[in-house]
Amino acid sequence: MTTTVAKPSRVTWVRRNLFRTPLDGILTIVFGSLGLYVIFRGVLFVASGFVNGRWQIIDDNLKLLMVGLWPVQNLIRIGVSVAVLALWAGVIGGVIAGRQKRRGTSSIEGLTAMQRASDLTRRFGLVTATLLLLLSLTDTAGPWIMVLSAFVAGVIGRVIGGWIGVRFLPIWVSRLFTVVMVAVPIGVFLYLTSPWLPDPLPAARSSEPSAWPLAEWEGFMFNLTSAAAGIVLSFPIGLLLALGRRSKLRLLQGISIVYIEFVRGAPLYVLLLMANVSLEFFVPEALAPSRVVRAIVTFTLFTAAYIAEIVRGGLQSVPVGQEEAGKALGLTPTKQMRLIVLPQALRNVIPAQIGQFISLFKDTTLAGLALGILDLLAGATAITQQPDFRGQGLIIEALVFVGFLFWVGSFTMSRESQRLEKKLGVGTR
Amino acid sequence: MKIIKLMAVFTALMLILVACTSDADTTTTAAADAGSDTTAAPVEEDTGSLLDEVIARGELKCGTRDALTGFAVLTADGEHVGFDSDFCRVIAAAVLGDADAVDHVDLETADRFTALQSGQVDVLSRNTTWTASRDGSEGATFLTVTYYDGQGMMASADSGYASINDMNGAIVCVAKGTTTEGNAATVSERLGLGWEVRPFDDNALIQEAFDAGQCDGWSADSSALTGIRADQPAGPDSVVILPEVFSKEPLAPLVLDGDSDWAQAVDWAILATITAEEWGITSANVDTFLTSDDTNIVKFLGGEFEDGDGNVAVFDPGLGLPADFAYQVIKQVGNYGEIFDRHLTPLGLERGVNALWVDGGLMYSPPYR
Amino acid sequence: MAASPSPPKLTSSMTTPTPEQRVPFWRNVSFLKWLFQLVVFAIVAAVAIWLYNNFRNNTAESGIPTNFNFLTNPASFDIPGADFAPTERFQNAFVIGVLNTIRVSIVGIILATILGILIGIGRLSKNWVVRKISTVYVEIIRNLPLLVIMTFTFLGVVLQLLPRIENSWTPLDLLVISNRGIGVPWYQDTSGLALFLVLLVGLIGWWLIARWRHRVSDRTGQPSHGGLIGGAFFLLVLVVGWLLLGASFTTPVVDGRQIAGGIRVDPSFFAVLIALVIYTASHIAEIVRGSIQAVPAGQGEAASALALSGFQRLWNVVLPQAMRIAIPPLGNQYLNLIKNSSLGAGFAYFELTNVTQVTVGNGSPAVPAFFLALVFYIALSLITSAFVNLANRRFKLVER
Repeated sequence: MTTTVAKPSRVTWVRRNLFRTPLDGILTIVFGSLGLYVIFRGVLFVASGFVNGRWQIIDDNLKLLMVGLWPVQNLIRIGVSVAVLALWAGVIGGVIAGRQKRRGTSSIEGLTAMQRASDLTRRFGLVTATLLLLLSLTDTAGPWIMVLSAFVAGVIGRVIGGWIGVRFLPIWVSRLFTVVMVAVPIGVFLYLTSPWLPDPLPAARSSEPSAWPLAEWEGFMFNLTSAAAGIVLSFPIGLLLALGRRSKLRLLQGISIVYIEFVRGAPLYVLLLMANVSLEFFVPEALAPSRVVRAIVTFTLFTAAYIAEIVRGGLQSVPVGQEEAGKALGLTPTKQMRLIVLPQALRNVIPAQIGQFISLFKDTTLAGLALGILDLLAGATAITQQPDFRGQGLIIEALVFVGFLFWVGSFTMSRESQRLEKKLGVGTR
Repeated sequence: MKIIKLMAVFTALMLILVACTSDADTTTTAAADAGSDTTAAPVEEDTGSLLDEVIARGELKCGTRDALTGFAVLTADGEHVGFDSDFCRVIAAAVLGDADAVDHVDLETADRFTALQSGQVDVLSRNTTWTASRDGSEGATFLTVTYYDGQGMMASADSGYASINDMNGAIVCVAKGTTTEGNAATVSERLGLGWEVRPFDDNALIQEAFDAGQCDGWSADSSALTGIRADQPAGPDSVVILPEVFSKEPLAPLVLDGDSDWAQAVDWAILATITAEEWGITSANVDTFLTSDDTNIVKFLGGEFEDGDGNVAVFDPGLGLPADFAYQVIKQVGNYGEIFDRHLTPLGLERGVNALWVDGGLMYSPPYR
Repeated sequence: MAASPSPPKLTSSMTTPTPEQRVPFWRNVSFLKWLFQLVVFAIVAAVAIWLYNNFRNNTAESGIPTNFNFLTNPASFDIPGADFAPTERFQNAFVIGVLNTIRVSIVGIILATILGILIGIGRLSKNWVVRKISTVYVEIIRNLPLLVIMTFTFLGVVLQLLPRIENSWTPLDLLVISNRGIGVPWYQDTSGLALFLVLLVGLIGWWLIARWRHRVSDRTGQPSHGGLIGGAFFLLVLVVGWLLLGASFTTPVVDGRQIAGGIRVDPSFFAVLIALVIYTASHIAEIVRGSIQAVPAGQGEAASALALSGFQRLWNVVLPQAMRIAIPPLGNQYLNLIKNSSLGAGFAYFELTNVTQVTVGNGSPAVPAFFLALVFYIALSLITSAFVNLANRRFKLVER
């Protein structure tokens, strides 16, 4: 017979948690009143901003903060690209979920729709609310259409992916599928930046192409895409460095160690400043890169060293017996690494990799300061100097907005990472 | 076997290092000995002049900035408007025949020189002061001065300062990486004022610090200060520009060392605006001067004239520019006075030392013949 | 009965491969490994040489120097808050930059560790209010970019919150707080060396007394109070030193637009320090929380069984073990703090990066100057890593 502990009454709860000892009581009173005061002032700040028009600065400049100086009518390509990427992400999510269902490791099987809905709300509610807030600040229908089409595309992709994931496909089909999945983001990138590909709507086909050259990516788009590009491009380099550091060949080890320790000892801000003034000296004139390219190259080379250390940790976490088993099966070293060690190693350090991505995402603000790119933070500082808004101390509002956007992104990603960690059982097996 | 391998590797290393550093040593030691780097071997590279490259490209890459009232401002339509921006257009009109064939590249103060050095821009028209060290260690060749400026100081109107000598122990804010930093420090030493000079990355931060009272004075080129004063949130009368001008700041466009064809072409494009004003040629009346009685003017505008033998000819001094470059410049952009009046006179800046030499100023162009 | 055959004698022809047994070199693993390394080295060297050649060509055309001679040129800029004249050399400016970086790093590390430990403990407190406030602090600050925090502390706190010099706050008539700096009372007419010696004597005395008291306590079982008695001695040394050195304190006063007397804390230093401390403390709090939770629960239970109070349990049993676990990630955070101090360059604090930027802006060649700055940062990182590794080795559990 099990005994259930009675839920403590309210009074008991207050006594136990807030006033356990006299000192405790004092702490409660002091910090409690401090906390209430801060909350009160915060709510007052946000609400009164709507009343006396202090948030107008964000309202007017939302497009500038999000995508920089690109003309409004040329944002169609972004809309199409976002929808395609949402479809792609949906398919990937669906395939993963389908595979899990097939293998029986699914965490969503057997949940009712209500439970699924509440789980999704808890995970993505914050991001959705922020998106709705941003959309409410826009004046045109364009962003609404973009977000809705992305949502629809994502759902469709999820359904398709779920259908694909559950089935056993022939090898050549799954290989083709992988190739297509890798090609889609590259294709989207090319579509965004090349003026030779046609515009989606006939009305937009004017003499001026609406392509968005990489050199002009600004605003929050710059932060998002340079972080994504940085982490994706740095991964192969980091992997090679980690393998090199572990190899028995002294020279490879030496080169890897020198690179990793050199880059890890340098501040990212100084590297960006260096890239700004000296990258052009090291490449021939024809290749002189734009500021955005310089930023992305620096992010890539910087993150590669950290990824190398993370992957090295992952490789060390795989028991030596796995490699020996591979040897016993007669696999070549390359096959051992590819089929046995690397999958386990990389899976073990997924949370650390996500942490590195979050860190890079936040560090993209440095590119704004170092290279003069008009990213979200630099844009926020700049708009406070506009004729309509100067001299009113609106920098606080601008910084709160910027901080909020970054916070929502980082917080959601780190919560997802924690959830993934729990699900993978990292560290418990 | 191991020893042999090691020796082979080391020998290879040595050979590579020796091959590469031998040339580097001679160049760097020559530079160090010579002191001034303009005398270090004029590198006879077989790359051709930037002039040909720009003509082939069909577009001029002009280094500028995006937010200095009167000199270069990026408008909401994406256009660059200002005194320096107009001189970019002058060069494009001269070299390419089209004043709008310009790619205005916005540069931060800190990387304007490296952008020029690396070839990211062909010419820098960005209110840059001509100094000896920039000629030397930055590898710059400065062209005709377009604006003779000086460094001034702006203070809040209620600070009670009437001259910089009143500013004992004051905090002076400047832009980072400019001559204003060094000048302010030098003046402070010389007059024993004990200033604390704080450099910031961009004007937005200086504006914030100035508004909050952290800066007693904001020092920059007088021309820039006039524009900044006009933009003050509390109105132009909330600040006062102190009377002293404490350094010479001749602002000129610049190109990279080692390409005299390009430098001369750009130089004469700029001089054309001054020559035009000397003759009274404006963008409105330039067509009437094409048939002037003065053959010097006709030659200048690239018109046809009768030479000594009675043949119809067009004057080409061999600069590599089209014969009618001056006509294009004046027609599409205007003469020096027009450019000045368009952008700087509305700010309240007077011609002063920037008037023509016949009016007591310093604007003087060599004869075009 | 046959005798067991004797093992065959090992002749040299059995150990050295005969020509037809020698593996051909294209399949010989050791040769292949060596060849692979050579190829990689050749590729890396080729890339490096290509980069270097580009660099030489691009700089030779315009005659820009690529050596370190610029260091002996006069700086022609001024460093606020330091005894530096524009006629001094660039290398002196660099030294001041490094000292400023070290200054903000050390103060930042100390303050961030204290704040981080407090908040980390707070996250595990039984008091609901303290727990929630700590959690909210960590979850908010940890997910913000440092640059946003630093922009806020500089533009928001220093420039807007702190008053103008005319209206500066003077609490207790001892401090002067304004947005130009914070005046703190300080020794007057004392050379830095004398002050440093007094501090050194005091600290060494504290440590020696603490050790003596601990030995006494081990012998007699009485509480040692080593920290308290040592601290009292330290204060005594400070007072005696102050009296010996002239006993003159200056308090800051507002003199026109300046702060005369005392010592002035640079407002940029203040902004950078606050931002670094707030940000790093949130990370340290997570590390401390994780390491306290990693201490086996039995330790805490045993301490309770010995009737130790909550504070004693934390201070004497749990924290020491937790700190042992926390040293490597803490060291990582310290390295991050040192590297993040470079952001002060955007806010007029003259640490190393700012000095380098200003040096380059005043006509020095960019590549050697930044290379020098990078070398300094890497050296600082390596030194700090060495210290952390030393501490780690000293405190870690020696396992069988």
